[in-house]
Amino acid sequence: MADMAWNAIVAVERKLKPRDAVRCPLPQFAAWLAPWMLLFAVGLYAGFLCLRDGLYHTNMDNRFVFGLWIFLDLAIIAFGGGAFFSGFLLYILRRRELGAIIRSAVLTGFLCYAGALLVLMLDVGQPLRAWFTFWHPNTHSMLTEVTFCISCYLLVLAIEYLPTILKNRQLRRIPQALVFGWELHRMMPVLAIVGAFLSFFHQGSLGGLYGVLRGRPFAFREGFAIWPATFFLFILSAIAVGPSFLIVVTRVVEFITRRKHAGGDVYRVLGRISGILLIVYVLAKSVDTIVWLNSTSPQSGFRAWEYYAWEPFGTWILFLEIAGLGLLPAIFLLYFSRTRPERLFVPALAACAGVALNRYVQTIQTQALSTLPFDQFVTYSPSWQEVAAFLGVIAFAVIVYSASYRYLNLFARSH
Amino acid sequence: MFPGVDGFHWSPAHITFLTVFGIVLMAIGTTMLIVLWRTLRDVRSGRGARIRWTEDFEDLPVNERLCRHALSGTAPGRVCPRALDCRECAEHPVYAAREISASAGIPCGLDYPAQRYYHRGHTWVEPLEDGCFAIGMDDLAQRIAGPIDQVRLPAPGETLHANGAAFTVSSRGRRLRLRAPMDGRVVATGGADQPWLVKVKPLEASPRLTHLLHGAEVSAWVRTELERLQVLVSPDATGPVLADGGMLHRDLPGAMPSAPWDEIAGAMLLEP
Repeated sequence: MADMAWNAIVAVERKLKPRDAVRCPLPQFAAWLAPWMLLFAVGLYAGFLCLRDGLYHTNMDNRFVFGLWIFLDLAIIAFGGGAFFSGFLLYILRRRELGAIIRSAVLTGFLCYAGALLVLMLDVGQPLRAWFTFWHPNTHSMLTEVTFCISCYLLVLAIEYLPTILKNRQLRRIPQALVFGWELHRMMPVLAIVGAFLSFFHQGSLGGLYGVLRGRPFAFREGFAIWPATFFLFILSAIAVGPSFLIVVTRVVEFITRRKHAGGDVYRVLGRISGILLIVYVLAKSVDTIVWLNSTSPQSGFRAWEYYAWEPFGTWILFLEIAGLGLLPAIFLLYFSRTRPERLFVPALAACAGVALNRYVQTIQTQALSTLPFDQFVTYSPSWQEVAAFLGVIAFAVIVYSASYRYLNLFARSH
Repeated sequence: MFPGVDGFHWSPAHITFLTVFGIVLMAIGTTMLIVLWRTLRDVRSGRGARIRWTEDFEDLPVNERLCRHALSGTAPGRVCPRALDCRECAEHPVYAAREISASAGIPCGLDYPAQRYYHRGHTWVEPLEDGCFAIGMDDLAQRIAGPIDQVRLPAPGETLHANGAAFTVSSRGRRLRLRAPMDGRVVATGGADQPWLVKVKPLEASPRLTHLLHGAEVSAWVRTELERLQVLVSPDATGPVLADGGMLHRDLPGAMPSAPWDEIAGAMLLEP
């Protein structure tokens, strides 16, 4: 009886997979998903506790208002920049090579933004009042723009992902499904422009969020009109690291599935674009840092080097961010994109780590440093609920990506 | 923030913010409405069948998208750039002129009458004396399907589009969709006493059948299809081996029940 039920499950599951795609047996796939499901379940429980009882389950307080979750938010939103940027390159600038990975890029972006919204939902709390953020927003807050942009962009990404879902072996049998997907695909340039517009502003506003903190001289920056320098640096870093994140994701998928999904031409384009933009970002960041060290911070009454007297945030973190995980990866990205595209993984990973470190510095270091004479240096370590919710979001992304890979064609079949 | 909320006052910032997001939302909404409208228009006009075939063809593996002249050896490895529609292909006449018309005969006891024109999805067309065309399943497709329990045919008056769905057959709970080999309006449906399943009146006064296989090239195609079938039936074997000249079983799924017949039928009938 059990054998019959299992065989029926296998038979049904088999019909969902792309006909000619090589996929692992169902038990192996289930074994791969099991730990992620467990992690996701623990994350759900932690999230439930936070939503039911409030944020006292976290180690955040009135002084440390942003913690692990906001760091995760900022990092994955930056990584998700790869989706809008590759869509822009493919549909607007006609870089056809990227057609091989565009479906995976859109899904990656969708998961990054869905994860970000999940975490934001926990962080904001009060799920029954979630709509307040749209109806009663604080018009003086950069977060208002971020909330609107992220919500709209998640919708755009879901629409962009729809044609890929409709190509599932069973769904494509619905007569209208493929036609709808095809017509939707024709309109992708419009959605790519809308996505680029939305991304541009919310990536920037996330940076602007820190740059306008006049009471936090470590983060405060001058800028152009209403936008501080961090507004532009966040945009630049997101579009620089987005292609690198796509390199990382594609290589990891290739490693796990033991199949090649993108040719050297795809990696070359991604590596070159990421490298060039990263160089521009590092230059801009360096100029910004010099201005901040010599002008902005002293004008606020702080010698900038005082910030780095507080261990463990020594000057090493500044050099690591700009040189070690910024300039060096950029040079290697450019070098390997010309010579050995198969070696782009490490510099791409380092570039991602660099931008993640930047978001960590902006979020955690900014709040840890004291700014008033009677203030103390504050340390923060996340509670288990924060860590569990953090890992739960990552598990959610892995589960959805794995299922999508198994049942849809995420990569063009030319490779 | 919004009108109607306590304490709301219009300011330039509100107007700018709400205008920009209004435009964004309108762009997304209008895009979706246009897509829906175009989808309905395509489905109603019959253009939907062509779109579905274009999408299906793109998702077929390379060995199922090979040019007919690749099968005969005239253009080795050439992938069809026109979704198997040679009527619009500028290179087809060039390759066709190079073809050597030596027929090798149909192997394995398969029946492929010479007067018929064959679609790569294993349907055929036969011109009739009254100016109509008969459409049916070819011999290999029948053997892949096995004993047929039910046939779903289009009603008289319906229009078939080349490469779109023509009819479906059910066998042992499996439903197979077969592709129409040509454009035409259905004038009659066949029964057990007829070799054909659908009779159509062509949409054009003098229909072109150059996209269908005919004459000497049918033999090369059937041989390629049999090789493909062998690999699909036993993917773990060392590869196709020379057959000993035996006849192909009339009920392949019945003879080899453990083979992945859903995938095999998809591959042979050009369903991604």
